[in-house]
Amino acid sequence: MQIEDDEILQGFIEESLEHLADIENDLLAIEEDGADIDEDLVNKVFRAAHSIKGGAGFMGLTVIQDLSHVMENVLGLIRSGKLTPTPEIINVLLQASDKLNTMIEDVNNSNEYDIEEHLVPLNDIYDGNPPQKAAPAAEEPLEDGTAEADTGSAHEETVVKRTVPAPEPDPEPDPEPVLAKETEVAAPTPIAAPAPQLAPTPKPSSPSVPKKSAAKVKVDTSIRVHVSLLDSLMTLAGELVLSRNQLLQTISSGDTINAESVGQRIDLITSELQEAIMLTRMQPIGNVFGKFPRVVRDLSSKLNKTIDLTIVGKDVELDKTIIESINDPLTHLVRNSVDHGIELPEERTKVGKSPKGLVILKAYHAAGQVVIEISDDGKGLDGEVLAEAAINKGLITPEQAQLMSEKEKVNLILLPGFSTAKEVTDVSGRGVGMDVVKTNLDQLGGQVDIISEVGQGTTISIKLPLTLAIIPCQIIMTGGERYAIPQVNLEELLRIPANQVKNRIERVGNAEVVRLRGNLLPLIRLADVLNIDRTYYDLSDEEFKKDRRERISDRRGKETPLDTREAEALQAEKDAIEAERKLDDRRHTPSSALNIVVVSNGSMKYGLIVDKLQDSEEIVIKPLGKHLQGCKGYAGATIMGDGRIALILDVTNLAIMADLTSMDGSDRASEVALAAEELVKAQKDKQALLTFRSSEKEQFAVPLNQVERIEKIKRSDIEELGGKRVMQYRGGSLSLIAVDDVAMVQPIADNEDLLVIVFNIANQIVGLLAIGPIDAIEISVSIDDVTLKQPGVMGSTIIDGQTTMLIDIYEIVGVLFPEWFEDQEVFEAPEEGKIPTILIAEDSNFFRNQVKNYMTESGYDVIEGEDGAIAWELLQEHGDEVTIVVTDIEMPNMDGFELTETIRKDPRFATIPIIALTTLAGEEDVAKGKAVGVDEYHIKLDKEKLMASVHHYVKQVH
Amino acid sequence: MENSDNTVNKNLVELSTFLVGDALCGMDILKIQEINKLIDMTTVPQAPSYVLGILNLRGQIITSIDLSKKLGLGETNLSNDPRNIIVNSKGEHIGLLVKKISDVVQANTDKFEPPPSNMGGIQGEFFTGVYKTEDKLIGILDVEKVLRLEERN
Repeated sequence: MQIEDDEILQGFIEESLEHLADIENDLLAIEEDGADIDEDLVNKVFRAAHSIKGGAGFMGLTVIQDLSHVMENVLGLIRSGKLTPTPEIINVLLQASDKLNTMIEDVNNSNEYDIEEHLVPLNDIYDGNPPQKAAPAAEEPLEDGTAEADTGSAHEETVVKRTVPAPEPDPEPDPEPVLAKETEVAAPTPIAAPAPQLAPTPKPSSPSVPKKSAAKVKVDTSIRVHVSLLDSLMTLAGELVLSRNQLLQTISSGDTINAESVGQRIDLITSELQEAIMLTRMQPIGNVFGKFPRVVRDLSSKLNKTIDLTIVGKDVELDKTIIESINDPLTHLVRNSVDHGIELPEERTKVGKSPKGLVILKAYHAAGQVVIEISDDGKGLDGEVLAEAAINKGLITPEQAQLMSEKEKVNLILLPGFSTAKEVTDVSGRGVGMDVVKTNLDQLGGQVDIISEVGQGTTISIKLPLTLAIIPCQIIMTGGERYAIPQVNLEELLRIPANQVKNRIERVGNAEVVRLRGNLLPLIRLADVLNIDRTYYDLSDEEFKKDRRERISDRRGKETPLDTREAEALQAEKDAIEAERKLDDRRHTPSSALNIVVVSNGSMKYGLIVDKLQDSEEIVIKPLGKHLQGCKGYAGATIMGDGRIALILDVTNLAIMADLTSMDGSDRASEVALAAEELVKAQKDKQALLTFRSSEKEQFAVPLNQVERIEKIKRSDIEELGGKRVMQYRGGSLSLIAVDDVAMVQPIADNEDLLVIVFNIANQIVGLLAIGPIDAIEISVSIDDVTLKQPGVMGSTIIDGQTTMLIDIYEIVGVLFPEWFEDQEVFEAPEEGKIPTILIAEDSNFFRNQVKNYMTESGYDVIEGEDGAIAWELLQEHGDEVTIVVTDIEMPNMDGFELTETIRKDPRFATIPIIALTTLAGEEDVAKGKAVGVDEYHIKLDKEKLMASVHHYVKQVH
Repeated sequence: MENSDNTVNKNLVELSTFLVGDALCGMDILKIQEINKLIDMTTVPQAPSYVLGILNLRGQIITSIDLSKKLGLGETNLSNDPRNIIVNSKGEHIGLLVKKISDVVQANTDKFEPPPSNMGGIQGEFFTGVYKTEDKLIGILDVEKVLRLEERN
């Protein structure tokens, strides 16, 4: 076959492949619709087949033309309503379109292909002999004659083909038409005699082979870009040229002032250009998702399961390279869900589930990343079984397993060399496990996380960066060199001041850990992992100096020796260090503070100790040369603004190099986790508090969510004017108050360095004078609102062994600046006669009283219930009086969600406004609340917002 | 490349010679992209000992190798104004740090002699031969062999 014009041919191939990709999904949709034909859809498929036929005819691709011609015929029948599309007919059409795909990809040899196996059933359908369901079809030939036998067995054959993708261990996987011919020649002879119509039977093995290899690599060499995007690129390029001219001019005239503005302009244009170019690389993830309906359909019918696939977020866009490389891991995961996740219909009915399984593929944006979730409602992963298997395979020790959380156990499946499938099936086993998926995703900078509940299903979520080319990174310094840590891996930055180091750093065995909000975080020194000399950054000399310490905890940290023998050894060691310490006077200087970068790779989180933290920057990844391929700790290198190079750290491999696995060092962590769990069981709310001091002796705390920011000031910054303290702040005056202005506490300490905690109250900002040390903590609050209650102090609680007074900033401000609240106080004067009543459901006395006070202050009547159940009783009792329900979420007996649900179910209260109060409004909680009927969510004790919405709803009701 | 067409005699090559330690070595000048004195390198912890670091050559990241160390002739003194010979090996640019650049010598490949048998050991394997001029002996370096990764694992 001679094809003259390569370009036209290329165009034809691209267009046809696009058509075929659409055909597949459209056919599936047609199948779903059944007799209820969507004419537009059929028309679309018809036209697609038609244009392939036309193009192929023009190119002289006769075989493609023939096949698309018969497809078109059948589709024509469906279009005119003469034929009802049954799954069997669709099957035949799908296989034909598969074949078309294969031929078009191998266009030069397409005329050599044999399409008899598709032509026969298609023509039969066209002639009015549609294939029947597989089972009856097999019997029919006996009664209905040869024509039926044809289609029936041809169809059966195709079923067989699907069940066993490679029925014979074909030694030659190449899609060689020669091979196809040989089989054809060889095979018909024995079968031809009994049933000549069955001639195509031996063929299936060969078409399935080229299909496989073709599906493996299909990398697009061209890409479609919207014209408007191209236009904007063009405009930007034009602007860049203009700016360049300007730059050249300013340089030649030596005009430094202008040079700066031109520089800014170029900076702006470059970043816009960068963005626009990145956009051209973005493609909707639907391109990958699109093939899964077919995958799930074929697989489930093969496994005798019925499975619905729901796809959400097709339009989410990702970089082209990521889209291309995510295909395989995703296919694997989806197949896994279908094969291992979803049970057989009988099993499902037995455990009370709908016989139809559900697989959900979901893509969405979250925090600058794209998250892809594959969830199924199947049998879930059993952590215990996984742990046992891991122990049997020697991947972990039983001791380690004992200390692991359920989630950690489930995530064991990602360990290399782990595959739970008892036997390798051709569906998803394939001899490789989830670890391959993980490795693939790791290469993309992705993170895998598995959440699973036995009997309920599994959700695998993959976090992917939007693009690979340019990534934001945190720059750090160690040993005098700069390194970049991808922001994807960055959790937070932590600086432990010198005087807290010994309290917060602990040793567990050989591992050093830091206590971070109740969890123990394993620590790694970057210098140690990279095997370079330890240094520290000397702030006074502004240079890096050698560090002599062996361990961080040598700063007299708390130690948790594992056994007495070790304790003795440690003691000896300690003595030695004690001697050295005398020489070391650095312990209490700021230079001795620890800079910790908390990083994670999904399953594992650890702290990396570095010398110095620098800015975050957007960097371009460049690969390292082959001589450095052995250095596993780096993901590449980048060129910094000053022309020097910084290495990009590979967080996962660093952990491996430091012999840190998520199990290691987690023994203590699990202890803490247990304790935390107990706390949850105790059903107490966690509250984030900011602790500070006003005088040296008394410790105070305010809810962290009320704090806008914290400023460091000098005493001399404070101006006393008109009897009030103010300071200059962001171009205005900031009113300064102190706790002792209102409350009977010791006066503010006479320090030179002061802190100002800035609050935003009633749309005014106010600064509370304080001194350090300040700390943000998350504790389970049990507040004593009697003993130390006084104006400006809500109550007290014990934090770290010290009695801490909780400041009511609203009250303090209310006393000092009553005029601020005037507008709000009169905001709602209860209407005469009928005072709105508010039902408060809250288990903590403290919060209930607080909320009650807010309400009564504003003139409402209040009914209180200690939990959801009591509140519900109260509501039934006082049903017609209650205007609004304000409820906590975490409560014993009946929680806020349940309460809301119960209320909403009762037709009397279907419209009553419900406001939920919570300490932490996670997105999931909010969504859940909204689903059960919560009208509004408020963070606990944000008085203004709460009251504003209470007023709002009261007005609405009245 | 060895016998390039721009010389009349196909057997004539131009050798760029340089000092590695005290040894005079040479390589086909056509294999050299450029010679510079960039030594502002970023060290790469955990790299093989002969890798000095990586450097930025007009936006490209180049691995710099201490040729002397690679050949087992001791470290090159960085304070002595060494030079980086940038070569292109299998699509990757690599810098070879040498002590000093010497002349360009026209040589006839016919007159290359096999490396003397007493030049065994590590250095020996990196040379394809020696070339004698009136007063000097030049070791002809096999760049690809020098840059080949040791396949220990």
